[in-house]
Amino acid sequence: MSYIDWIVLVVTLVGIIAYGLYKSRTSKNLEGYFLSNRSMPWYLVLLSIMGTQASAITFLSAPGQAFTDGMRFVQYYFGLPIAMVVLCITFVPLFNKLKLFTAYEFLEQRFDLKTRIFTSFLFLLSRGLSTGISIYAPSIILSSLMGWDIFWTNIVMGGVLIIYTVSGGAKAVAYTQQLQLIIFAGMLVAGYLIVHYLPEGVGFKEALQVSGASGKLNVITTGISEKGFDWKDRYNIISGVIGGFFLALSYFGTDQSQVGRYLTAKDNTESRLGLLMNGLVKVPMQFLILLLGALLFTFYQFNPSPVFFNKSVETKALQTPYRDSLIQLQQKFTAIQAVQQSHTQSFVIKGQASYKDSVQTGAKKMSELQQQYRKVLAKAMPGADTNDTNYVFLRFVVDYMPVGLIGLLIAIIFLAAWGSIAAALNSLASCTMIDFHVRLKGIQYNPNDPAQCAAEYRQSRLYTLAWGVFCVITAEFASGMGSLIEAVNVLGSLFYGVILGIFLVAFYMKRIQGNAVFMAALLGEVVVIAFFLMDRYNIIGLGFLWLNVIGAVAVVLLAALLQMVLPRSAKPA
Amino acid sequence: MEKQKEKIPLFKSWKGWYILVLAVLLALVLFFEWITKTYA
Repeated sequence: MSYIDWIVLVVTLVGIIAYGLYKSRTSKNLEGYFLSNRSMPWYLVLLSIMGTQASAITFLSAPGQAFTDGMRFVQYYFGLPIAMVVLCITFVPLFNKLKLFTAYEFLEQRFDLKTRIFTSFLFLLSRGLSTGISIYAPSIILSSLMGWDIFWTNIVMGGVLIIYTVSGGAKAVAYTQQLQLIIFAGMLVAGYLIVHYLPEGVGFKEALQVSGASGKLNVITTGISEKGFDWKDRYNIISGVIGGFFLALSYFGTDQSQVGRYLTAKDNTESRLGLLMNGLVKVPMQFLILLLGALLFTFYQFNPSPVFFNKSVETKALQTPYRDSLIQLQQKFTAIQAVQQSHTQSFVIKGQASYKDSVQTGAKKMSELQQQYRKVLAKAMPGADTNDTNYVFLRFVVDYMPVGLIGLLIAIIFLAAWGSIAAALNSLASCTMIDFHVRLKGIQYNPNDPAQCAAEYRQSRLYTLAWGVFCVITAEFASGMGSLIEAVNVLGSLFYGVILGIFLVAFYMKRIQGNAVFMAALLGEVVVIAFFLMDRYNIIGLGFLWLNVIGAVAVVLLAALLQMVLPRSAKPA
Repeated sequence: MEKQKEKIPLFKSWKGWYILVLAVLLALVLFFEWITKTYA
């Protein structure tokens, strides 16, 4: 990276921290620290919700996903707008009416203390680990591509934001998340440059023709073949609408990192508007990010494409006895690419439709060679991550972006990471403070007692700091385990369905009491893990999104059955 | 009581917003289907 890029990167990051600190003046009590005194307008709630959901890996991984597998990943988000509507009807009015700090407080009011503590614990476990990975995932990509030390990259990625998150709580988190508008601007510039760098005569429309001919514009797929519906297929319209709905309902309705965002709104209207606007903009936004990957695919049909996008792994593999095999495959790839370039030019520039089949065949051959190359890399570097999907976009940035813009786009990656990590730290601290510290010590919240407020404020900051340190340490330990990223994604799905099931029972099944739902949650967790293990050992085929549906349905059904046999307690449900 | 005080922007009730969100989703799916069929 050039000096100019370094200056742009450092100045941007320091600017973000300074802005976060400047905006961190807040009331020094629990409501001020965790909920910005419930004063936020809808547009800040919207940006905060979006910034919390879209981590750095979203912006890095999605274009790579479209580059390799096409744009069908967007279907994963189809259930989200429907979930926003259900949330606005059911969850939001109740959460705001009860003036909750955390979503899990509601479970004690509805059921009992043990259900609240159990659910809050599941949240802390899954969110704490996944936040560690949210730090590690972009760090490993940046460190591989830029040659940075992973230890220090993790520290900057996960440690520096702690300064303003500890200092300003939810308010600082929300105001720095506003800055993500820069991210969208950066992605638009990247998209413009991809099209701009295409040869003369190839514009946006032609670029779509090439990526479409190569199967990258497969936006809608059904997952249905002659053999019926493929339950293993992760991204299709059916799993997207049903599985995506359950996942989004669970994530936005029961995950404190999101609930904590819309509880900062000044009233019900602002909370609802923030969520509904998210329902309106999320799908098109993801579509545009994925479109970058489809356009990037076309770009590499006209420009030299790496066989493998993770330079660091490739360089190390070339120093092993597999060097000759790798170079041989590289040469084959280059030869096919030259032919592919000529066919693609005939297809779009000369308008010869007869070349469409050749373009498709060429793209398939290139993809097969890339797969072979990965297999050799895996033999050369056992244990190394040979999935280069996350590297596709950033490699383009580093190789083709003008000086200055590279630094800015890397700063944008940090900004995206900080937005979601900061919100996660704030929510982890709020659950630890409210659901465990305050509740188990039997402290009564009293905003009119300055001494108590000061003590709680200090303690809340300490918990935020402690979670920040925990997450950075998790990221440091994750460094040697590439597959942990996937493991933690699945980990989320192992718990989300069960947590959602508990909340669904709470909202819609008034007769069910605490003991029944608590036991149903424990058994439901066993059911989810059983399905997960059956998939792992190839007894059944099941995409991970379905675990959310299974968990929620299992808790609802089991709670209903258990309530029939368990004695009813005197406490009204 | 709270419902009476709540001022809903753009529509008379929240139902209008819900229909809008779902209608936009449907329009997007149709648009994506068109892209898939046109360019595949």
